[in-house]
Amino acid sequence: MNRRALLILPAALILLLLVAAPYLNIVVISARPTSPDGAYGGGFTTANYVAVLTDAYYWRQIGTTLWLGLLTTAGALLLGFPVAWNLARTPGRSQALRQAIVLSPLLVGIVVRSYGWTIILGNNGILNRLARATGITHSILPLMYNRLGIVVALIHVFLPFMIMPILGGLQNMDPALEQAGRSLGAAPGTVFRRIVLPLAMPGIQSGCVMVFVLSISAYVTPVLLGGMRVKTMPMTVVNTLIDSFRWPLGAAESLILSFLGGLAVMVFLRLTPMRWNR
Amino acid sequence: MTAQRLNSALSWVIYAFLLAPILVVIIASFNAGAFLTFPPQGLSFRWYWTFLHNAVFMRAFATSIEIATLATVISGVVGTMAALFAAQARPAIANGVRIAMLAPMLLPEVLTAIGLLFYFYALGIGLHHGVALLAGHVLLTLPFIYINVSTALKGFDWSWQLAARSLGAGPWTTFFRITLPLIKSGVISGCLFSFIVSFDAFSTSFLLKDIGTATLPLQLFDYLRLNFTPEAAAVSSFTVFATLVVMVVTERAFGLKIARF
Repeated sequence: MNRRALLILPAALILLLLVAAPYLNIVVISARPTSPDGAYGGGFTTANYVAVLTDAYYWRQIGTTLWLGLLTTAGALLLGFPVAWNLARTPGRSQALRQAIVLSPLLVGIVVRSYGWTIILGNNGILNRLARATGITHSILPLMYNRLGIVVALIHVFLPFMIMPILGGLQNMDPALEQAGRSLGAAPGTVFRRIVLPLAMPGIQSGCVMVFVLSISAYVTPVLLGGMRVKTMPMTVVNTLIDSFRWPLGAAESLILSFLGGLAVMVFLRLTPMRWNR
Repeated sequence: MTAQRLNSALSWVIYAFLLAPILVVIIASFNAGAFLTFPPQGLSFRWYWTFLHNAVFMRAFATSIEIATLATVISGVVGTMAALFAAQARPAIANGVRIAMLAPMLLPEVLTAIGLLFYFYALGIGLHHGVALLAGHVLLTLPFIYINVSTALKGFDWSWQLAARSLGAGPWTTFFRITLPLIKSGVISGCLFSFIVSFDAFSTSFLLKDIGTATLPLQLFDYLRLNFTPEAAAVSSFTVFATLVVMVVTERAFGLKIARF
């Protein structure tokens, strides 16, 4: 055997044995019957899939999860694009500092970040106290234990994953292109739509896909910010697996969510093609 | 110009949004009172003191350090080897290796953890001895090593290696005396990132922990569901400071170039 191939051997083994095999195993287990004296029984059945797909309770949760993912992605794009733009236009040292700010949330654990948001958004949190102290309201503003709180915290948690790919695209763009557009008489809006946006599109696409996938599989943030009052699929999956110990059902739940999430990503990629270039 | 200004102002609002929850946690951790209130009732280190004398948190902290170290060492070796392979391979193969190595980062963390949970039970190992937990953390960290080392290998001059080999150095000597020093910054930043990612990981640890073991994020999460004292803020801030210290020290000692994407 080629000696150089030995370099890839350990990584290949890890990926085969710890990624490929377990993923296939999830598919197998999702088709196993539930068993009273173990995690799952022998034989195969479609009962788990039928149980999930025919239950309105699940569909409502899947709807909530995908909707929250969509809102988070849209919010992250809305906040992320201006920042990426600002970063791309900032020279040298000053850019390094701003980039450090953008990446800083990634260096802090997800539990800590979600906790920070509970301090800000809680019923007795900073914003609510501020609102009462300034007389804006006398009742409690419902900022947390609902979808709003979850989406705000999710946007914060995943914003760097939106900014970095967009920044990558914008940095590769030659500023002369914009100047050329302007000097040929195009309005700023036209330059943005016809030159900047098409060039930034691949970055926007990968940012959106990453944020969407991460947010529909998020667990900690919805639990801490939603206070169990908003139910998302990852929570149900964890409950099914850990609390009720029904592995086949949990496997089917998670595969159905992944499949629908993947479908949403495909639709998104189809709807945002490169025809901006026309 | 005004559009540019407006965008700059908007960006600073968003930078503030990014920093807000972290700053809030740090401020809350110095609260002298028994409850989380804003503004804090006086400054004190009282909750840090409580945390440092809390055996449960300290044990969790030690567990986190142990797992992060083990995972980083394994991923560091395996990921660096794979990056060296890809850098010398034909473009089509290199591209395949890249996609495969990044896969654990792109697949949903919860799903990967569920897969490992089932798999290790099927193997008869279950969650005992932390094998499954370590496997999960290796998968979490491997992509970060690979990205950083690969970036360092861009534009790597392979003639150095050839020169060393033709002068009679063995493959190991060549690696440790020539290749490694040249890609050192990539390996170190990869390991640093990998350590932090593992230290902060939640879902993987949550699903794969052995009974009785808990990492710091798990312990903190558990605590937060029932308690609202500033001790949680002290624990959180402690991890933030520890991360900062590690980063600054590494930066000073080796010079960092972090490639995250």
